[in-house]
Amino acid sequence: MHLPLVSRFAMEGSVSGQHKSPHRGSSVEFAEYRGYVPGDDLRRLDWRVLGRTDRFFIKEFEADTNLRMQVVLDCSASMAFSGGEETRFDYARKIAATLGYLAARQGDAVGLNCVREKNAFELPPKRNPAHLQTFFDLLEQTTPEGPTDLVSALHDLAEKIRRRALVIVISDFFCPVVELMECLQHLRFQKHDLAIFRLIDPLEMDFSFDRPMRFQDMEGPMNLVTEPAVIRDAYLNQLNQHRDALKAGCLEFNVDFREAVTNESYEKVLADFLTERTHAAGMRG
Amino acid sequence: MTFLQPFILWGLPLLLLPVIIHLINRMRHRPQPWAAMMFLIAASKASTSHAKLRQFLVLLFRTLAVAALIFFLARPLGGGWLGWAVNRAPDVIMLVLDRSASMETKLPGQTITRREQALAMFAEAAEKFADTSHLVLLDSANREPQQIGIASALLEPSLTGPTDTAADLPSLLQTARQWLVENQSGASEIWIASDLQASNWQEDDSRWGGVVAQFEEMLQPVGFRLLTFNTESEPNRVVSLARMGREPEKPDELQFGIDLSTTHPAFEKFPLKLNVGETEVPAEITMSAQRLRWQKNVRLEEAKGTVWGHAQLPADANDRDNAIYFVESEARESKAVIISDQPNEMNFVRYACMTAQTIEPAAVIAPSSFEEHSLAGVALLVWHAALPEDPTRLESFVADGGALVFFPPGRTNGTSFRGNQWLNVRESEKESFHKTGTWNEMDGPWARSKEGLSLPVNFLDIRRRQGLESSDTVLATFADGDPLLTRGRHGKGSFYFCATSPERDWSLLSEGGVLVPMLQRLMQTGAERIGQETMVACGELSPADRTKSWTPMDTTDYRDARIHAGVYRSGDRLIAVNRPDTEDEAEAIDAERAAALFGELPLQVAEQEGAEDQSLQGEIWRMFLMGMLAFLIVESWLVLPPEPERSTKSFRDYQSQGAGG
Repeated sequence: MHLPLVSRFAMEGSVSGQHKSPHRGSSVEFAEYRGYVPGDDLRRLDWRVLGRTDRFFIKEFEADTNLRMQVVLDCSASMAFSGGEETRFDYARKIAATLGYLAARQGDAVGLNCVREKNAFELPPKRNPAHLQTFFDLLEQTTPEGPTDLVSALHDLAEKIRRRALVIVISDFFCPVVELMECLQHLRFQKHDLAIFRLIDPLEMDFSFDRPMRFQDMEGPMNLVTEPAVIRDAYLNQLNQHRDALKAGCLEFNVDFREAVTNESYEKVLADFLTERTHAAGMRG
Repeated sequence: MTFLQPFILWGLPLLLLPVIIHLINRMRHRPQPWAAMMFLIAASKASTSHAKLRQFLVLLFRTLAVAALIFFLARPLGGGWLGWAVNRAPDVIMLVLDRSASMETKLPGQTITRREQALAMFAEAAEKFADTSHLVLLDSANREPQQIGIASALLEPSLTGPTDTAADLPSLLQTARQWLVENQSGASEIWIASDLQASNWQEDDSRWGGVVAQFEEMLQPVGFRLLTFNTESEPNRVVSLARMGREPEKPDELQFGIDLSTTHPAFEKFPLKLNVGETEVPAEITMSAQRLRWQKNVRLEEAKGTVWGHAQLPADANDRDNAIYFVESEARESKAVIISDQPNEMNFVRYACMTAQTIEPAAVIAPSSFEEHSLAGVALLVWHAALPEDPTRLESFVADGGALVFFPPGRTNGTSFRGNQWLNVRESEKESFHKTGTWNEMDGPWARSKEGLSLPVNFLDIRRRQGLESSDTVLATFADGDPLLTRGRHGKGSFYFCATSPERDWSLLSEGGVLVPMLQRLMQTGAERIGQETMVACGELSPADRTKSWTPMDTTDYRDARIHAGVYRSGDRLIAVNRPDTEDEAEAIDAERAAALFGELPLQVAEQEGAEDQSLQGEIWRMFLMGMLAFLIVESWLVLPPEPERSTKSFRDYQSQGAGG
């Protein structure tokens, strides 16, 4: 059995698909009865109820539709960090590509937003197979550079996407949590299903340096010479506080929070993600 | 603190090693591109004070661990004896041992004496320096420094056994300094063991200033360490011979006056064994006070000849002061000499000084002839002239045990004798006399007779008297309180000043009721000077006698007449050697007063409380080893990473804290 990419909320698609729609449709799954109003299609009148009760009821069924998945990829220079062989951006690209492929195979529309301060670009969601190739090509050609602009990019995105969509943000989220939560809240207010992937490198988690280091900011000119052993505790405390705050905010605003350490298998990360979403949404037929 | 391997202390600069490694490590920083800078910046701002303190403590404990390792390898010695200042082992350790009789006092509740305890502790302490220092022993009995090969030799009785001598600490220190200078020793230490008996230390002696100054001028460093003892001891009894002799009319009876004293606070009874020749006279002494003079007459088998013996008390805290020895010869001829510039006025005195042996009246000489006059056999000098300009010969006579009495010359010449000076002459009013006030009837030449009869001092009619400036003991006063008779002591003898003269126009002293017993008693007192050849203080044998061979009379055990009390024979001559009287004086100075005598010289004082604390010092490397391990454990604990904290806060909590970047 393959794992489908499902939305946790009803989606507004343009064609029929595997996802629950906010509108009533012609699927086999009964939804509800409602009273007849002039103009309703008489073919949907429930004659048996009319015969028994002499009252007019319309029988309604669930509608299935496709979804729009918008992948937001942080392309700032901090995504190029690597404590080992693979950069955080490479790991992010794998996740984005896999999710794009899964969605396209289900007939869902896939779009891509590459977010950075300069040279940001957007690929609107479409569902034809050729578009998927474009999606892959873009992922391959994009390189991380410059400062991040994730917060304003997400606010813009929240305004831009008119219809409900599944928005997946892949980033290190090294920016103030309060501002970040405001834009995630903004997206949720627009009724988008929102999932975020926080990517962290093992070196950033352990901070295991045994000698003084000159830390160079990857997104700016700042240098900091320090004794890692001296500030290690405080650094890890800050890092954990940030993570905990982000996680707590996501829980509060019903944002699907995913954390991936870049030395663990991305397949497992995605499998967990898909499985839990499937359980959360309830398996459909 | 002293180190047996002091050269290892040159490694102390290695203490800087952890600091240097830390600094070098800091300089070897490596560039590292970093994404999560926001956390690093916040961490470096917020948390460095605690982390820096921890880093400082880590460095401190690493440094302490290195220091403990270096000290451990240097083999440190420490303890109350050596103190905690860092020193290297001295080239010479001179052990100055007080071997006086008072050092034989047993420690409270113990069977070992102060001397034995000091030696045990010295031997143990000196053994640690066997490879690094020369050991030299200077004891108060032999007074000659001698090198010791091994520290355990200190326990040899032939070297450091008990004696009945006194100690002269200033003299010992002079000898020690002399030896150090002559042998050109390097850094030296003088270890002194003494019970701080005041008579041995003589803190008023003028030699102290000189010897301290000489030590201060020495080029090589000399340190002093003083081992003292708690002055408390078990109850102790002391016996001494106050008087012994034969009455001329009873030559076959020997009369004893034996002084007994005890530190026992309560009433006690104890036996006294008196041996006179072959005769043993046991007695039971009952003491209701702390001092008692026990009088006893012992009938002799023969009226003539020399008699010797001893008196012995049972064992107590100090066995050295439980015995006295005596030798008594037939009464010798003792005579008096009168020095007067008015010989005719001294006739009464001449006759008053006659004894059974001297059938002729005492000789009278002029003051100018005194220096040439022989004093052989003279027990009493009567000085009836202006005080001499040069009192040396008179002082020497008194110091040897002679008796000296001054009568007023009726004039003043401004001279004085040992602080005593004649003042103006005062005449009594017509038809009246200077009356006597009180006088000492228990002691002195005007004491009561054996039958308890008082001398008729109060019947003396004194018409003329001469004022006396004196700080000595007043034995009798005039009715107005001015001194009539005073007594001063010098050496073994005493000197007296009488404020009126036996001359007719001065007083009725010449009528005999007071003058005769007074002069007879003084002659008897001064006879000690003549009989000194038979009664010798231990350690004070004359140089000629020290070279003779002396055989102990009352024991077959080894005894040395120079340092042990007893009765000895050499040829036909018998001597009784007793500990010096000063050894019976219990007064001791405290450690602070002793330390003050050393002035600015480096001195470490250790007071020994009891035998259970046997060690003056010890190798304390274990302490440093344990210290090093403790420092490393603390250092390891400090560098352990902290336990990660699990957060259960909600996003609202973080918002309220302003967290999140």
